[in-house]
Amino acid sequence: MIRFDKVGFRYESGPDILSGIDVHIRAGSYHFLTGPSGSGKTSLLSLMYLGHRPTRGNLHMFDHNVGLLPRERLFEIRQRIGIVFQDFRLLEHMSAFDNVALPLRILNRPEKEIRNNVAELLDWVGLGDSKDKLPPTLSGGQQQRIAIARAVIARPKLLLADEPTGNLDDTIGFRLMNLFEQLNRMGTTIVIATHNTHIMEKFGHPRLILAGGKLTLETPTEAPLTGQLKHAV
Amino acid sequence: MQSETPIFAMILKRLLRLALGDKGYDLPFGSDADRNFLLLLVALMSFLAVLACAGTLSLRAMTERWSTGLENKITIEIRTQSPEGEILSPDSIKLETEKVAGVLDKNPAIQNFRVMDEHEIKRLVAPWIGEDFSFEDIPMPGLIAVELKTASPEALDSLTAIVTGASPAARVDTHREWLQDILRFVKTLQGVALMVALIVAVTTITAISSGVRARMAIYRNQVEILHLIGATDSYIARQFQWHAIIIALLGSLIGTLAGVAVTGLIIVLSGQGSVTLIPEISMSAVNLAAFLSLPLLACVISGTTARFTVLRTLSQMP
Repeated sequence: MIRFDKVGFRYESGPDILSGIDVHIRAGSYHFLTGPSGSGKTSLLSLMYLGHRPTRGNLHMFDHNVGLLPRERLFEIRQRIGIVFQDFRLLEHMSAFDNVALPLRILNRPEKEIRNNVAELLDWVGLGDSKDKLPPTLSGGQQQRIAIARAVIARPKLLLADEPTGNLDDTIGFRLMNLFEQLNRMGTTIVIATHNTHIMEKFGHPRLILAGGKLTLETPTEAPLTGQLKHAV
Repeated sequence: MQSETPIFAMILKRLLRLALGDKGYDLPFGSDADRNFLLLLVALMSFLAVLACAGTLSLRAMTERWSTGLENKITIEIRTQSPEGEILSPDSIKLETEKVAGVLDKNPAIQNFRVMDEHEIKRLVAPWIGEDFSFEDIPMPGLIAVELKTASPEALDSLTAIVTGASPAARVDTHREWLQDILRFVKTLQGVALMVALIVAVTTITAISSGVRARMAIYRNQVEILHLIGATDSYIARQFQWHAIIIALLGSLIGTLAGVAVTGLIIVLSGQGSVTLIPEISMSAVNLAAFLSLPLLACVISGTTARFTVLRTLSQMP
């Protein structure tokens, strides 16, 4: 699914944010990505959703080397990924409904299908009554749920989430984590960047720990190990 | 007026939804203050284009009328002075004129000809020398108006040879010299009109392109979101493209209608005058179609410019 091969990354002529990242995230796996603030979690996720390309090494996603793939074809990979941004990145002029519907519209799905699926998902995340509201009129937690709904609506093969429960109370947070569990059981590969040890402990998935630009793996039952991940959840 | 706006907006929205496959815009163009500037600019440019177009069409009508009216007609003048400088008497001029008329009569290339009599010549020269003169005071040339079957250069050359053979004092005036001067002048004016059209097109392209670039900077965040959640460049470009097309359609319709109205006014006003040199600008179906194709052209130019600009800017994103 995702294979980092001695990947390094830095912003233009700045210092290295990531270096020697060497990891294989298998299809159908579920990982937490954790580490101190500023350790590069967001940058690592950004490489995975093709917000940036590696400055060193090779990154393979969905059997394509993204460094070699022409930019006109990157959308093929992006369309298979659902992203929950830390700052949500909702389109503020659009209703909650239209924000969630956006990935399906980009995929040119029939409007009837869009209406049914989006309404159902919005009900599920408890925002059925707010579907016509604009994001700025909603609370942080509500916006986060819209962002999550937008990320999962098109049934992505890979779900990347940056602190997806940061603004949510524990009840809603766990409910959404359960949604991720369900998606994972249906085959979606999941990587969630989080600080929330409570959640990591409860769900017990392997942790990718990023510190000082290096990545290590820690499984809940085993001692930390580095290198390629053989574990698939 | 107030009740019209929502209907108009509704039609536009329909058009837009139709064009975008029932999606509307994903970018907040509705709140765009810059739009009115572009609208005004496109309207002004279309107005100028209509005037340039009307000018060109009128000039073309004028040249066609003059050329077709004059190309088969020539005038033969029996000069008052022989090539040797000898002043001819009115009687000799009359004799020479008859000689020329004699050869014309037998020439198969001639459709018809007419020897102008004294009264006619007098009427022709009256505007220059007044009506109170006698032919005895001033030697008057003999004039023959000729209409040819075809006005090929060869036919004219052979006719000139025949006529000057019959009378050395005869001179064939094909009207070509002064007609050519006028045609040259008309061509220059047409060139100016073409240049105006080019300036209009280039200005529109530049304005649309810089407008799109400014919008892409304003909506960079939104464009990036669309890009990251899998929108193709073409999908994003379509948003800007349709926005530009709608502005161009509205602006050019306003500008074209204003231009056609002003042209109509000129037609009415010129019809009241007595200046016969300016041919009437007729609003024929063809001309009207040419004017009305302007909004279409504006849409094509704007849509293409917007699409090209967006695709180029997007190509710099990862």
